[in-house]
Amino acid sequence: MAIDDGRSFEHPLYHYWENSPGGGIGLTSLDRLLMHSARHSLWFFPMATSCCAIEFMTAAASRVDLDQAGTIIRPTPRHCDVMVVAGTITVKMAPRVKKLWDQMPEPKWAIAMGSCAICGDFYRDIYSVVPGVDVIIPVDVYIPGCPPNADQVMVGLQRLQDKIKLQLEGKFVERELRPGTMIYPKIGTHGDARQSAEVAQAQLDGARGLGVGGKEHRVPRPAAVQAPPEADATSDSGEQS
Amino acid sequence: MMGPVDPALRDALAKQFPDVFAAEGDLDPNGVVVPAELHVALAKTLKESFGFTLYVSVIATNFPTSDGETYEVATVLRNPTTAQPFWWRVRLGADPQLATLYPLFAGADWQEREQFDLLGVNFVDHPDMRRLMLSEDWEGFPLRKSYAIDTPHTPWR
Repeated sequence: MAIDDGRSFEHPLYHYWENSPGGGIGLTSLDRLLMHSARHSLWFFPMATSCCAIEFMTAAASRVDLDQAGTIIRPTPRHCDVMVVAGTITVKMAPRVKKLWDQMPEPKWAIAMGSCAICGDFYRDIYSVVPGVDVIIPVDVYIPGCPPNADQVMVGLQRLQDKIKLQLEGKFVERELRPGTMIYPKIGTHGDARQSAEVAQAQLDGARGLGVGGKEHRVPRPAAVQAPPEADATSDSGEQS
Repeated sequence: MMGPVDPALRDALAKQFPDVFAAEGDLDPNGVVVPAELHVALAKTLKESFGFTLYVSVIATNFPTSDGETYEVATVLRNPTTAQPFWWRVRLGADPQLATLYPLFAGADWQEREQFDLLGVNFVDHPDMRRLMLSEDWEGFPLRKSYAIDTPHTPWR
């Protein structure tokens, strides 16, 4: 059994505090203490609408433990500091998201997790989808991915902590920009004069369920399987025994 | 898609609705086209006489033609004991109105509301014909062919 001679405990603050005059007392300003506390006790409000929520749950589970940063996930906006928007936000959901955001007490931050929350992703052009949650609420950290894995959620949390530190120290924080939205190849609708006749014909054939050049490509259904002739009852029992 | 129908059922339907069902051959696998007046009567007959007590779904489709808008409402029932499905279709004009099946099947309630929400097919005498999925102040019916997919909905998009 080792005797505690003061060297076995290697935490740097230990020596700093022990050797400071007065010994064992750390002096700091109240602001710094509050800032430290705010950074390391962020309570998350999961605004989780779709599959990113599953990955967010993985981040909260034991392999990548979100709790090690002092976070607690609370399903009520009035107790929380950070709103994590994980999933597609539809036009019907958008007023609810805004209402929940307004119910959160200041200071508050928002994380947009996943492509749908960032820019709408492939639902972007659909009539019922909001193209990015930053249309509604100010987003501090974007976590790209479809969905982002649990490690990326943890990295996003650390980025948010760094940002909060700068904010509460009163330093200038550069606004995080929305990650570049993917540009999809533009294929016009059928009958669009700007696209070639081959593409138009292929679209028409595809709509008819035909293959290239209008040829039938469906495999004919196999004929119904004939029931096997009824076997003798005695021979069946003989095989089984 | 409707599979082969029991000949006894086909003959009985041909007897009761001679204008719609033929006594010979298989029925249209995509669903027999039925006039809108016979919609409720056919559902009632199938439910009470042939055991089609399970309301599976109602699917409306919009086909813009040179004559104007046309709608097709396909209804699917199923007989739970024989697992036999039965489809029929009703063709409607530019202002689609169809009698509701809610008094016969309580399961028709939300399914008909969904078709009203997305296609604007009005099910007459439905007790609660409101939008189901879209917000209540939504304008237009998004699955109609005349609805542009990038229609703005301020201030959200």
